[in-house]
Amino acid sequence: MFRRSAGLLLAVAALALVVVGIAGASSANSTSKLKKQPKIAKMVPAKIRSKGTLVVASDATYAPMELIAKDGHTVIGVDADLAKDLGIVMGLKLKVENASFDGIIPGLKAGKYDIGMSSFTDTKARQKVVDFVTYFSAGTSFYEKASGGPAVKGLASLCGKSVAVENGTTEQTDANGQNKKCKNAGKPGVTVKAYPDQNAANLAISSGREQIGMADSPVAAYIVKQSHGQFKLVGKSYGTAPYGIALPKKNGMAKPMLAAVKYLMKQGSYLKVLKKWGVQKGAISNPKINGATS
Amino acid sequence: MAGAVIAFLVYALAVSMATNANFGWGTVRQYMTDPSILRGLQLTLELTAAAMVIGVALGVLLAVMRLSPNPLVAGSAWVYIWFFRGTPVLVQILFWNYIGALYPHISIGIPLGPQFTQVNVQALITPFIAGTLALGLNEGAYMAEIVRAGILSVDEGQTEAAQALGMRRLLTMRRIVLPQAMRVIIPPTGNETISMLKTSSLVAFIALGDLLYSAQVIYARTYQTIQLLIVASLWYLICTTVLSIGQYFIERHYARGTRGRQKAMQDFWLNMTDLKPFAGFRR
Repeated sequence: MFRRSAGLLLAVAALALVVVGIAGASSANSTSKLKKQPKIAKMVPAKIRSKGTLVVASDATYAPMELIAKDGHTVIGVDADLAKDLGIVMGLKLKVENASFDGIIPGLKAGKYDIGMSSFTDTKARQKVVDFVTYFSAGTSFYEKASGGPAVKGLASLCGKSVAVENGTTEQTDANGQNKKCKNAGKPGVTVKAYPDQNAANLAISSGREQIGMADSPVAAYIVKQSHGQFKLVGKSYGTAPYGIALPKKNGMAKPMLAAVKYLMKQGSYLKVLKKWGVQKGAISNPKINGATS
Repeated sequence: MAGAVIAFLVYALAVSMATNANFGWGTVRQYMTDPSILRGLQLTLELTAAAMVIGVALGVLLAVMRLSPNPLVAGSAWVYIWFFRGTPVLVQILFWNYIGALYPHISIGIPLGPQFTQVNVQALITPFIAGTLALGLNEGAYMAEIVRAGILSVDEGQTEAAQALGMRRLLTMRRIVLPQAMRVIIPPTGNETISMLKTSSLVAFIALGDLLYSAQVIYARTYQTIQLLIVASLWYLICTTVLSIGQYFIERHYARGTRGRQKAMQDFWLNMTDLKPFAGFRR
């Protein structure tokens, strides 16, 4: 009897150890605190490190990537959370500020901002002005009023319709390009209206001023979800392309930023942030510097 | 001494602006005559003209209404002025642009009775109409006060004399008071027109293709924000200068029959040419 209870005791103890071991291992992955990584922090140029706080510009009208919290002024969202984590890893304080989208890239050029994290699609045209570290992937989706909107299959269906976009976005470029294509094919052109921010563009569509909206896929999906039946997604998404963290050209931040992004992906915080905002479909695993595909 | 300091500062500023490569004067020159910029300029001028016509007409009407003995007439004018001066112009522009959300259709008929025709508001109120309405109605409220000041500046004796001659109120207003009030109304109206030229740039918020919007769309593509804003600013400056010259000639017209103009011209030239010894010549 003693032997049997001893065996039972041993089995229970072993099980307990295994359970503790498993629990310990998983907590090391998902709940371990993010810490500064000295090797990555050393890569940051001294001039930038001495600044202490870096300004991250974000146009907070692009939920869930960047939006304004209920307090009316704090920028929250995927980009804000990633920026905070990247800052910890690099040993820098990253302060996210709301800015006008079409002013961010010029602002990086002019030294007004240190980093731009505003769902920038990494394009060859933009790479002429700033450097990018890719960190996400998204396409462009179409959305419109839930009822009474035109049938849209893709870019080609836009001929003869009016589109609301945010000024400075790739959607604006694509819509203008499609306008030229429509006119060359002898069809009526696309009326492209560029609004100062995405909220204004959404208002234009919901009030019937413009017919169709174009925005990055996770953003369009979020708009439709949050609108409680006011909007609906239409047509097929296109042009899946990488998002990039925008940095002033050749200022030495690209390499440490890339290392920090890779670290976050390995450590698990990256996926945690994406899952928190429901955009894990856009996760990538191979970040690179200036990875534009178009 | 002060003149020399100012001259030097201006020279230093000019040299700095000319030699600072960041200004990109080549780009500025390139875009000054860009077709989309010129189209935007045309729309800005159209918007300014339309808004001022509505504003001045409305202003005169409201001012006369405010001076009416009928309390309902005077009161409604006051309410209009209070409301349209009391809300920001940008909010008014946004409101008119999105009125389709409140009234998707406008029907003409008897309230709660049969409707005769129905109009789709979205088609009726285009962004241009929305901008014109917002700017014009807002301007009407400000012009009302300017016109009222002008009317009040005309000696009461004029009105009394007109009444003694048996002229009715509106005839007096039209033939006697308003023409004399013009001398006081023109300078601030010129100011308002020049101001309207710049205020019209707010329509960029509703994606109406004015001068500022056209510049914004270009720099969204080329990232040359400062250069394009300089292009827009230069065009606004040129138009303002032309309007100022126009205002001078209009003021001269309404100053006919007064000594003030002659004396002002005299003083101007005397000061310019330092011919004080000859000051007593004309008199």
